[in-house]
Amino acid sequence: MSQTPLNPQQPNTEDVSRTEQINLREAGLDIQLSDRLRGLRDHLVGAFPELEVLGFRGELTLIVRPDRLIDLLRFCRDDPDVLTEFLSDESAVHWPGGRVEEQAHETTGWPTITHEREGRIEVDYLLTSVTHNHRFRVRTDVPDVDPVLPSATALWSSADFMEREVYDFFGVRFEGHPNLRRIEMPDGWEGHPQRKDYPLGGVQVQYKGATVPPPDERKY
Amino acid sequence: MAARRMGEDGPREGAVREGGAAGAAWGDVPDDEPAGGRHVEEPGRVAVADPGSPVPRHEYTVAAGEWQNLPDAVEDDLMVINMGPQHPSTHGVLRMVLTLDGEQVANNEPVIGYLHTGIEKNLEYRPWVLGTTFVTRMDYLSPLMNELGYCLAVEKLLGITDEVPERASAIRVVLNEFMRISSHMVAMATTGLELGSTTAMIFGFRERESVTDILEYVTGLRMNHAFIRPGGVAQDLPDDFPERARIEADYLTDRIDELEDLLTENPIWIERNKGVGILTREQCYDLGVTGPVLRAAGVPYDIRKVQPYSGYEQYDFDVPIADTADAYGRYLVRIAEVRESVKIIRQVLDTLPGGPVMVADKKIAWPAQLALGPDGMGNAKSYVAKIMGQSMEALIHHFKLVTEGFTVPPGQVYVPVESARGELGYHVTSNGTNKPYRVKVRDPSFLHIGTLPTITRGLMIADVIAAVASLDPVMGGVDR
Repeated sequence: MSQTPLNPQQPNTEDVSRTEQINLREAGLDIQLSDRLRGLRDHLVGAFPELEVLGFRGELTLIVRPDRLIDLLRFCRDDPDVLTEFLSDESAVHWPGGRVEEQAHETTGWPTITHEREGRIEVDYLLTSVTHNHRFRVRTDVPDVDPVLPSATALWSSADFMEREVYDFFGVRFEGHPNLRRIEMPDGWEGHPQRKDYPLGGVQVQYKGATVPPPDERKY
Repeated sequence: MAARRMGEDGPREGAVREGGAAGAAWGDVPDDEPAGGRHVEEPGRVAVADPGSPVPRHEYTVAAGEWQNLPDAVEDDLMVINMGPQHPSTHGVLRMVLTLDGEQVANNEPVIGYLHTGIEKNLEYRPWVLGTTFVTRMDYLSPLMNELGYCLAVEKLLGITDEVPERASAIRVVLNEFMRISSHMVAMATTGLELGSTTAMIFGFRERESVTDILEYVTGLRMNHAFIRPGGVAQDLPDDFPERARIEADYLTDRIDELEDLLTENPIWIERNKGVGILTREQCYDLGVTGPVLRAAGVPYDIRKVQPYSGYEQYDFDVPIADTADAYGRYLVRIAEVRESVKIIRQVLDTLPGGPVMVADKKIAWPAQLALGPDGMGNAKSYVAKIMGQSMEALIHHFKLVTEGFTVPPGQVYVPVESARGELGYHVTSNGTNKPYRVKVRDPSFLHIGTLPTITRGLMIADVIAAVASLDPVMGGVDR
């Protein structure tokens, strides 16, 4: 997945523990999960064999294709062994495409890696069960050019505001959303500010026409 | 300046400003662009060219997004009124577009975003440790809870959750419980004010002030403390903190009785709150409602109990619930929670462990050692002497940590904490650098605002105020 920017082909021999963690995640291993979440994973993978599973820091992430998303969410809400009453949150992360140079600090010893990738937007659905007291994440990703996802508003009303926020900040269109408008930004705003390709703009200061550069171009 | 550019580029059409003070607007706005920045194409705002005026005039129409789906008022015999964003009883800058059928609310569309400051975006350009100073400004009535959630998330990504010293966790718990009391006090005070009880407002804010004093005594600031840092807390407690905190706990126990004497049996209070703003358990699940509002619907769901963090499992406290699911039930839950918080504070003070307040890892722990000097709080003299005169390595460490900060392994985590308003969660994504790649905050108030159409339908306007107040939304957290 595009989540992991580091290339496992170039392991860092100086810091074994961190490299191990990265490789574990690359391989989709889930030894960090609790028994309860492992049972849950087996149950869900039994019902949806195409799911990709990720375990990191004790958190379970299920990666699903956009066309199966609503089926999976409905199953999670209604199945008595999963029974996630809450859609706790929807959040998104933009991984822009093109030639990407992953920053690595000289102090960490991690290599700087350059690679090509397609621009993706990962959308996470955080599901919480009050009855069984568990919590996991359903993740799907869409291309960052004209992204479209089915809306979950028919399953949870709380998806209304959350999807409006994801649309506002990332431009993901949710099909079937009753009222998909901007929520935080003004109605006529151009662009989607949380995308990494959104121009930041400098700050004009009142001193001899000087300009403070945008944060990503500053040297400090 | 207009005059200078005309000299450089030659005269341009529309450049009517002829030098001098009248045309000297700094910022060099091109003359063919109306003032107003990026959102000139806002549907509700039409720029009208007026040759007589140097600044374009704007006409306001009702074409903006939230007005598009409104009913035809004449045909349906409905009235649409706009409440907020500058309204004294909408808790900051919340705006509600109310559709009224007679005196009853037929529909209520909340409009938010007036306090959007882009904190999440700002975090992406600052080192990890500076994030605390940003997140503390989101939900400004419970800043320490924001800091705690963010720091727990960063610690989880770093994999040092178990290395945080016990004393640091205990300090976090005691400060968070004081914060919860202060936040609930404000909730009851503002509800009182909005329902006409000035005494409740005075009482609530007076108690809140006493809690703020003790937080100031520990952190140096009344609000926006930035005291909880990734790896621990910024500084150890003052020596006489336990005594002062015990006095404060006794004081609060008395005062909460006083507030309860004033309100709980008060016929006006009961009349205004009972049966108002009902959210049943199923509606809470559907709308993502947590915190006191969910507990007032009879669900004992409290993150401190079900997924304990920072050692909450060591302390003995109850999760108060009510079964009325209305504004009055929420008030009762808040009162009971203040008592439970006092109970937790007493237990923490009895069992306050010794030891350090920051992780031992020198690659993460902030290097400064603070001490009170003649000109206020600053680096201890002994520490400055060490880095400047004795240890080159210590100076290098100090320099690297202060200028670049630490790096965090790549990955994504979600950490919830029980804020005064509900589940406050932090999605934190790292790509392995010294800055967050993305931080998304799940603020409970954001989802609570989403319930407004449901809970206010069929109410009178006066009850809308009581219903909003019972949700206790903080717009700083909603808009972020």
